[in-house]
Amino acid sequence: MRDRLLRFCLACSIGISAASTFAADTWPGTDWASAPVAATPAIKALEDYAFPPRDDNSRKGIRSDALLVIRDGQIIYEHYAAPTTAQTPHLTWSISKSIMATVLGVAFGEKRFELLDSVAKFYPTMASHADIRFEDLMHWASGLDWQEDYEYAPLNSSVVAMLYTRGHDDMARFTAGHGVFAKPGTVFRYSSGDSNLLAASLKKMVGEQAYGDYPWTALFEPLGIRSAVWERDASGTFVGSSYAYMTARDLARIGLLMQRTGQWQGRQLVPKSWIYFNLTPFAGREIKSAEEIPGGQWWLNKSQDGSRGPWPSAPADTFAALGHWGQALYVIPSAGLVIVRYGDDRDASFAHDRLLQLALAAFPGEARP
Amino acid sequence: MSEQRAFVVRRPVVSLLMLLVLALAALLWHNRLALNAFPHIISAYTAKEYCSCRYVMGNPAEYCRGYVKQYVPASLVDEPETKSVSAEGMGESAMAVWRGPRQGCVLEPDAP
Repeated sequence: MRDRLLRFCLACSIGISAASTFAADTWPGTDWASAPVAATPAIKALEDYAFPPRDDNSRKGIRSDALLVIRDGQIIYEHYAAPTTAQTPHLTWSISKSIMATVLGVAFGEKRFELLDSVAKFYPTMASHADIRFEDLMHWASGLDWQEDYEYAPLNSSVVAMLYTRGHDDMARFTAGHGVFAKPGTVFRYSSGDSNLLAASLKKMVGEQAYGDYPWTALFEPLGIRSAVWERDASGTFVGSSYAYMTARDLARIGLLMQRTGQWQGRQLVPKSWIYFNLTPFAGREIKSAEEIPGGQWWLNKSQDGSRGPWPSAPADTFAALGHWGQALYVIPSAGLVIVRYGDDRDASFAHDRLLQLALAAFPGEARP
Repeated sequence: MSEQRAFVVRRPVVSLLMLLVLALAALLWHNRLALNAFPHIISAYTAKEYCSCRYVMGNPAEYCRGYVKQYVPASLVDEPETKSVSAEGMGESAMAVWRGPRQGCVLEPDAP
């Protein structure tokens, strides 16, 4: 009798998993389901572009470390270049900002803060900038006089000073010490400082005790992410702008969560309204939509005024989390695709639009509503 | 009459040089914070990013040395037993330490 019951349950679970496969809502468990597609000339063209012969001495040209393609929740393509492997928790650089935004999305769902709250409410060091709201930080529109240039203007780069010299002990405090160049919420100016103010504010939102594990308890554990590392500054604040690490497969879980508007295995982990906010183009000044379109700590391919986005070869619903040296997490809901590309690009050879064009040609899917 | 001619007219070259020195001093003063911090970039970058390359990403030591290499020379000492990395460059030094599986590496606070 027990044996028959067991067999019945087994049959049920097989039935359920088979049904979900066909219903196009496959979810990764401990690991991803894998259904590699057969090699085609289009896949070879993609691979030739992303993985040309590699010179670790000159470090010139396109240097992909990982390329992972998920379609409808299953791995259909995966390739790594040594020393990176499927187990490497790779540095994501500024993809960290979008990951922190997703962590904040969980806190938002828990009603810990509102977008129109003053940042100073949760991060008192910002008391002298009481008119800056969370919405402004999310849009990189704090109006703080920040200089993001990395390698070309190292002397006056706020971000180099923040990570390595004057700011590294307490990055949020360093940011709060900047002057003002514009009214908050009016002008887009990409700023790692804005992202670290978000990371510092989370401390008071969830409490000092819970803070250190919050990205794990709120987001990583529910998604089954086990490789994550998130470095902090000497004051204990997560370096929300730059220093999250995880495997390509784990980062793809965040992509799938975004593709499915915050839902994870039947649970609304992040509110839909938060995702819509992330994916709505910011309507501020100084946005060159052919170069980059900011949403809420994510990058978009649709502009506020209907002009051309930065990736003309990809559908308008494409969005991405992007980082220094060519890190990218692309999500293309209309094609059912999530793509992770890790790299070590030390020059400007790599182009997002070209990769997206080749990937869409290599992995065409049926049109989705 | 000649004694009363303006200094600028009597000594045009010296005047111009003085003006340049003044402008340079003003520029240095204006950028004093950034200039003072600047030499520290190389050692801090090298120590921190090597530590993370080696102990967070788990890449081979040799690869990580190439990964942090810059045009400005820097020396690096990696102590695997304590997972601490110190670096020197441009006459400054910095140290990064691996703190744990979730925390990764952090730059030690600067000596006062």
